[in-house]
Amino acid sequence: MRKIWLFVLGFLVFCGGVQAQSLPRKETLYVGGLQWGPPSSFNPLMAQAGAAWPNTAPTAFGSQLLYETLFVYNMLSGELEPQLAARLETPNPTTFRITLRNGTRWQDGRPLTSRDVVYTFELAKRHPVGYAPFWDYVRSVSANSPTVVTIQLNPQKPNPGLVRNYLASVTILPEHIWSQVEKTERSILQFANLNPVGSGPYKLKEYNNERIVLERDPNYWGRSVWGLPAPRYIVHPIFKSNEAGNLALEQGQVDLSQQFVPEIWKMWEQKRLPVSTWLKQPPYHLPGHLPIIFINVNKKGLDNPLVRRAIAYAINYPLIAQTAMSNYSVPVNSSLIIPEGGEKKFFDAELVRKEGWSFNPRRALEILEKELGAKKGSDGIYVLPDGTRLGPWKVQCPFGWTDWNQALEIVAANARAVGIDLRTEFPEYPVANQNMANGTFDLGLWFVSGVGPASPWQRFRDVLDGRGVPPVGQTAFWNYNRYSNPKVGELLDKAAAATSEAELKRLYGELDKIFMTDVPVIPLMYRPLEFFQYNETVWTGFPNAANPYAPPMHSGAGVRFTR
Amino acid sequence: MNPLLAQLLSKGRFRLSVGILLLVVAFAVLGPMLDTRNPLFAVGGRYDPPSANAILGTDVIGNDVFLQLMHGLGTSLKIGLIAGLVATAIGVLIGTLAGFLGGVVDEILMGLTNVVITIPTIVILILLSVALESRTLVSLALIIGVTSWPWTARAIRAQTASLRVREHVDVARLSGAGTFSIILWEILPYMFSYIFMAFVLQLASAILSEAALSLLGLGPDNTISLGKMLQFAIQGEAIRTGAYWAFLPPTLLLTVISFALLLLQSSLDEVFNPRLRRA
Repeated sequence: MRKIWLFVLGFLVFCGGVQAQSLPRKETLYVGGLQWGPPSSFNPLMAQAGAAWPNTAPTAFGSQLLYETLFVYNMLSGELEPQLAARLETPNPTTFRITLRNGTRWQDGRPLTSRDVVYTFELAKRHPVGYAPFWDYVRSVSANSPTVVTIQLNPQKPNPGLVRNYLASVTILPEHIWSQVEKTERSILQFANLNPVGSGPYKLKEYNNERIVLERDPNYWGRSVWGLPAPRYIVHPIFKSNEAGNLALEQGQVDLSQQFVPEIWKMWEQKRLPVSTWLKQPPYHLPGHLPIIFINVNKKGLDNPLVRRAIAYAINYPLIAQTAMSNYSVPVNSSLIIPEGGEKKFFDAELVRKEGWSFNPRRALEILEKELGAKKGSDGIYVLPDGTRLGPWKVQCPFGWTDWNQALEIVAANARAVGIDLRTEFPEYPVANQNMANGTFDLGLWFVSGVGPASPWQRFRDVLDGRGVPPVGQTAFWNYNRYSNPKVGELLDKAAAATSEAELKRLYGELDKIFMTDVPVIPLMYRPLEFFQYNETVWTGFPNAANPYAPPMHSGAGVRFTR
Repeated sequence: MNPLLAQLLSKGRFRLSVGILLLVVAFAVLGPMLDTRNPLFAVGGRYDPPSANAILGTDVIGNDVFLQLMHGLGTSLKIGLIAGLVATAIGVLIGTLAGFLGGVVDEILMGLTNVVITIPTIVILILLSVALESRTLVSLALIIGVTSWPWTARAIRAQTASLRVREHVDVARLSGAGTFSIILWEILPYMFSYIFMAFVLQLASAILSEAALSLLGLGPDNTISLGKMLQFAIQGEAIRTGAYWAFLPPTLLLTVISFALLLLQSSLDEVFNPRLRRA
């Protein structure tokens, strides 16, 4: 009998040992909204294709917790700030000279030198990594000394903005580890990297299907620059649903969150919780993304810019901002430039007022009846003089992207109200993604480049540049609707190489005018680059608009957790 | 008056269930005639609480919940009706054929029925709904209908098998009537009340199936139904943000419909099934 009890006791002890070790709450920061499925890879080269937190970020600017980039982007100033690098000099227009900080070191104690930087960029010559297009704009990357790297830009394709974007988004890898990986692994992109060695202030401690745990590295090279971060552990619990994660934030089980939390103001206005966002009043977040409806400009009916313009006038942008986006956006402007932060200096409100559109269903009807001469059918849908019925057209986005799904329900209802037959369709993400890339859609809500060192140039490229875009049926990475305009290419090239702000503003204005005239896409709302909200029950001192010591980002120049 | 009808009308449960159902149907049919506004068009903001403007408040994208309830109820009833008819028709066809013909046909048809019963309906429902390019009210109703007939088929088969050996069937057979003629004229009329009760049950379960599918995001596109209202409420985190008016009305309405239909079925059963008939 006693043996049985001993056995039971032993079993219980065993179970206790297997159970996740509980971490001291006062020393642990819980974050959410950056990892959804079980983690399977910590390979930063797979950041866009399923690598787990912290190697993935909702933006191109990686988290600086485990691996680091040369520079970090600050969305408040629109500038690059030094991280691994101390400074960036441009001795002439086609040369970047980067000097590393003193004492940069990998977590295994080996020094991080210019050779690692050169190795990381040259990887993209040998492997199809995400930053492979870097070499379209760069001729060479060379190490002049252990701390100095020189980048020669490609004079045929000058685009210093885009190269700066890469400097702030490519995570530097240790050559002594990854050159071995190149030899032993069949594909460097498939390598799971389960014992990552980075240069950042945190090491991967453990991971399972419920959480990922990082532990502070007491020997972090940057402690002489920024000091050591305050939390000893950073934990990312993996929630089953958005609502579960939001509830955890509300209850103080998550300290910092990147989730979409509808009506978050109720947490402090009604429930009196120590929860906050960047701004304490609408729109609560800073705009950093511009979700856009791509319109298939090669489909009969939709190939007419006036039809597209009528749709643009029919959409109730203020309602979308207030309901689907839960007040986290102001009504969107008919411009590809985000009128806040780093892009504010390029935004031309007068041009938008003159050439653009806003919610005005009567103007939509006027375009349909007077300018197009369309006649309303007995079913309430307009028919063009050549017999083309305006619809049924499907407007799609991935299923489960709730704010987008809701926004498109509004778009479809608005369009039908003026006599254009739009219907929503919400396929699973892989199907929606394929439809967009292949150009096999009627209308589709999708993302384009957010704010960054190369914005808004990249966004104009994403929307207007038809050069080199494969035909319908093959994978495109931008210009999903295969719009083309002969004037765009030259303007984009000029803007890429432009050095003066006035010149840039003029060129962006011309591009924005082309967009407003041809309406190949319709911006629907602003979205923050990353959602940023925190609960100060355990940790305090997060940056916000009143104390903007860091931008509201989980990546790039965002919170360093040093306070 | 027909004695059965008189007996039915004398039952409080029957009167109550029919009364509730008439009210529900009137709400779905007359409501949209009296209030012709578009239910998919916003009248307010995100989750406005009940007010004079919208007596049951607004949903996540500012649509009037009361208006949506009227139109959504109509869609749910239509889906229930079509699915219930389809399921009952298939069930009756297979059940009578198996029960009347017996032998190998019975074995095959009942084998098929038993196989379909063992596959969880919700899985077939989900797979079929996902496979569809676009889900309309009718296609969704058909999917629900063709997956929910087996229990009806089994019950009808048992009834048919017992009717088959009655004397009037033998008489018809002797006078040269064909299989279908006998099923149509000698068997079905004797099961009519039974089939109607099966239909009532199918109707109730089809309405709930629609709600379950819509809740999973597989509801009919570009229209509103009770299930889609619930889906929208869950997507919009109505529960966490305390917008009870977005999810309580459709939930209550679904409960009331199921309750009334089950009550109707049991009161019918009481009259038509002699063994349950009370003195």
